[in-house]
Formats: sequence, structure tokens, C-alpha cells
Amino acid sequence: MIRIEKLPWDTMVSHAEKIFPKECCGVMLGSDGVVREAVPLPNSYTGPQEDFFVMDPQDLYRVDREARAKGLDVLGIFHSHPNCDAYFSKRDLEHSCSWFSYVVLSIKNGRFDHANSYRPDFDQKEAPKEELIYG
Amino acid sequence: MAKILIPTPLRQYAGKHDSVELKGSTVGEVLQSLTAQFSDLRRHLYTDEGKLRSFVNVYVNDDDIRYLKKEATPLQDGDTVSIVPSIAGGSAGAGVEAPPAALSKDEILRYSRHLIMPEVGMDGQLKLKNAKVALIGTGGLGAPLGMYLAAAGVGRIGLVDFDVVDFTNLQRQVIHGTKDVGRKKLDSAADTMLDINPYVEIDRFETALSSENALQILKDYDLVVDGTDNFPTRYLVNDACVLLGKPNVYGSIFRFEGQSTIFAYPGGPCYRCLYPEPPPPGLVPSCAEGGVLGILPGVVGLIQATETVKLILGTGEPLIGRLLLYDALAMRFRELKLRRNPECPVCGDHPTIRELIDYQQFCGIPSQTHEPAVSEGDIDPVEVQAKIDRGDPFVLIDVREPHEYQICRIPQARLIPLGDLPKRVNELDSADEIIAHCKSGMRSAKAVDFLKQAGFRKVRNMKGGILAWSDKVDPSVPKY
Repeated sequence: MIRIEKLPWDTMVSHAEKIFPKECCGVMLGSDGVVREAVPLPNSYTGPQEDFFVMDPQDLYRVDREARAKGLDVLGIFHSHPNCDAYFSKRDLEHSCSWFSYVVLSIKNGRFDHANSYRPDFDQKEAPKEELIYG
Repeated sequence: MAKILIPTPLRQYAGKHDSVELKGSTVGEVLQSLTAQFSDLRRHLYTDEGKLRSFVNVYVNDDDIRYLKKEATPLQDGDTVSIVPSIAGGSAGAGVEAPPAALSKDEILRYSRHLIMPEVGMDGQLKLKNAKVALIGTGGLGAPLGMYLAAAGVGRIGLVDFDVVDFTNLQRQVIHGTKDVGRKKLDSAADTMLDINPYVEIDRFETALSSENALQILKDYDLVVDGTDNFPTRYLVNDACVLLGKPNVYGSIFRFEGQSTIFAYPGGPCYRCLYPEPPPPGLVPSCAEGGVLGILPGVVGLIQATETVKLILGTGEPLIGRLLLYDALAMRFRELKLRRNPECPVCGDHPTIRELIDYQQFCGIPSQTHEPAVSEGDIDPVEVQAKIDRGDPFVLIDVREPHEYQICRIPQARLIPLGDLPKRVNELDSADEIIAHCKSGMRSAKAVDFLKQAGFRKVRNMKGGILAWSDKVDPSVPKY
């Protein structure tokens, strides 16, 4: 289960809506399964960003250090699916990392529609859904 | 000694430590001793085969070891080793395909007016080149669509058509020329498109799209553009697109009016959300029956082409959930909001249609297409001519409209348009033998029914109308 407090949740939704119709991405910081801060990061994919995102490892490296300084953990990754549902796609799975919760936000016609959270396994074969509480 | 910073999500597996100081001369060595010390950490970093997992990046100070000597990268005293995951993903269900590397010099020149707009640019032009679009029909709508999508540089276009170019097409189907009459529309269309842009690949499907072949044909394309002119195929294209999860860029035309929208976009409405049931057969006339302003499919087809290109580029506001109505006579556009119907049998929350059905039957069209023999009450045009030649007494009525009568007529025929028949029925004598004709035999059949109900006994329908008359009796009568 992952719980996202209102402030970081609002940050995630407004970032995803702002970046629409491209995919946004970012990192969720917190502790004990509760997200207290969301950090939007640039999508560094150089191709079409409507259905793909890449995080710059340097950004993650920096955010991890900053989280550490605040006594927070990087709990998860969020990204948006513009004009499609918040499923965990084949691409998501192929590029997933088992350390994190993956929150996917479905943004349709520029507005938040729904979200789901997933926990991918080590071998990038499966990503069971986990309970997501937000707001 | 090197200091290893533990990523925050992994601290729980490393005794809650932020960092660990370890001895080792290479990155590989310190990571091995780290995971020896904290065995729970091992599966997060290494595969069962002992390789670093694909999502694990390692940095020495600020340098990625992939660009150094990988795990053999040497370490100095006081170096900091960081473990950073690589994170990516995306909504596309398909595997990650590398986009084509670049445009050729000739293509750059060709697409220059696209490339200098940031909304398209090199990225956008490559998206177009990568795109695979299925175009159903190369008629009125398909003509401008095929030409402009090819010109714009859509890399692969699948054409589906089984028809042959005829003279009545040329008033609007500008992808075909007079020289193409009698040729397959597929070949004629492909020739025009390749002449416009030889960098386009064209797949030709010489077939009527059907429940048997639609999924197979459409599955390899990113999106589908519907340039068809009949209800069974529209429902077929719609359902196939919903089942395949591909957007359906829709357009339709009639006389002076057109419509366009995008159906079957994930989350958006489909054709069945707008029209759950087809109209009764014969109620809505086709373009062949009702006519169409030749320019109209140009306007509507290019709205479809615009939406197709926008979807590919991911630019602008797509025509999803909006039905655009165009009235050429008033020269006005209007817009209706469309919503996905949660009860929709194909795209709703609990769909009942999970495979393609018999669309001819769904639209109430008899599946047998063999021509019935001359039925009782029908008379062949040749026999009508024989009666005229013999001087048999009978009355020939033409139930078409006055503007059709101006195009061509049979000299002996009296014009009584079908709609006027009830009030002019007293002009006819039920004692006379009466033969009715129209353009192709549909309306005159209705006239015969009407007259029979009005008590006329000796009424017959000239089979095939004035078109058959032109074919069988008098070729000087123009066909329209």
C-alpha cells in the first residue's frame, strides 16, 4: 500500500496536466509508505514523449541525495499516460525497477482521470497492483 | 576504503545504513562485499546469474561506470560509489522500437516547410515517417486523404479498396484521372500517391473489408482512417478499431453536408456511442442516390487528414469527443459534444460485442446479393421498347424528379414525380396498362406498390430504370 498526502498529490496531478499531451515523470519522497513530497523531473527521452519517458540518472542521483539530507526515502516513481488508462504497460515493465512503487496517472484531454500504483518484481516480468490512497 | 551510498529505498535491506565503508580495488569487488554483508540486498542488485540488473546504474563519484571500465573500474581511497536505478516507461503497449535514424538529404528538402515549424520539426517528421495509417476506401474521402497523407510524409499507408474507377467518380475522386477509368482504384490511387511522394510505402489490399479480414488487415497500423460510404462498413471499421484499440478518424458526406470526428480513441466515444443502431435500410440515401457536391469530400477528407497528422504528431487538440458538422451551403461549421457511452455494447464498461459480427445482417441488408429474376410486375426495358414499336396501348410514367428529367428522358414517358403521385393519381386511368420507371427501379417499384393499393391492376415496373434503358435499348440516353 502507498499513501500520498494531499500536497504531493496535487503537485503530481498538476505537473501531469501541465506536461500533457506528453508523458511526465517524477519521484515521490516520504517514509513508512507515506509520500510527503513529490519532485517532478524532466522527461529526458529524446524521441516522441507522448508515450515514453526516461529519467536522467543524474536527476535521480541528485534527488536521492537531497532526500537523504531531509531524512526521507525515495518511495516511488510517478509518470503519466496521456489519453490512455493507468495500466502498467509492457514498456513500463521492461524498464521498471523493483525498488519502487510506480504510480501511473491517466490524463485524458488534459485532465486527471484516474491513477493506479504497481510494484514491479525483480525480473521485470510482473507488476502487481498495490492499494493507492491519495489526497 | 570506498564509501558506498545506499539508495534510500534499499536502506531497509542494508541494516538501515545510509552508507557503508568497504575495502576493494574495483567497483565489482566492493559491490560483492556489500552484498555479501547484506544478503537481502543482493537480489535487488544482481540477477540469479550474478549480473548487475539492467536497471542498476553505478556511479563512481560523479561518473557512470558504463563509461569507465564498468565493474572493473578501479577505486581510490575516499571514492564515493553511488547506486542509481535507471527509470523509464511509457504508455505504449508495443515493444520499444527505435525510430528511424534520420531523414535523407532529399527528404529534408522535400519536408522543409514542415521542418522549419517547431510544432513538427525533425522529431515530428520522423514520427510521420514512422507512422502506419490504414485508409479504408480510395473514393471521395480517400482521394484527398491519400494524396495529402502521402505528401505529408506518412511513412506507410495501407489502402483497402476493391472498386474500379468509373466516369461518375471523377467529379470528386481527384486521386483518379480520366485516363484511369476502368483501372483498379488501388493501382490508380497508389500511382498518384507515389508520384507525389516516392518515399511513401503503400500496402494494397484489393478486397472489401469484412469481418473475416478486418482485424488481420488493420492490426499492423497505428490508426485507421474511415473513407467508406456505407453503414455496414462503418460499423465494421468502428468495432475493429475498438477491439484493436486503434483510433478511427471518421468522416462522412452527403449532398452538401459532412461530418468528422475521431472515434475509438482510448477513453473516447465510438461510432456506436453516437449511433447505437443503424438506420433502416433504404432510409438514408447513399451518395449514388442522393448526390454529393464534388468538392465536399475534399473539405471533409482534409479535416480527417489534418486530424490524422495531428494524432501522429501529438500536437494540438484532437477532434476526440467532438463531432464537427460542416454545411457547405451555409458555409458553417458546428460542433456537437460526444461522450463515451458506458453502456455501449462495444466500448462500454461491460461490452457485449467482443468479436466482429455480421454487419450486413446487423444493418438489415440481405446477405444474398444475386439479382432476382424479373419478378411478377416487372418488365424488361427491351420489352417496353417492343411494345412501343408495336404500338401497343400503354402509359409510361417517369417517377423521377424534374431535375433528373432534364438530364435524360424516354420520349414517350410522362413525368409524375413519386412524391406527387398521390395528388396526381387522378391523371391516370386504371383501365390503362401502366408502366413506371425511375433511375434504377427503386422508386418506380414504390410507385407500382402505391398504384396497386390505389386499385390499379395493370401496373408494372420497368426493371433497372432508365440506366437499364440506356444499356439495353438506347445508348444515346446519358447515364448519371
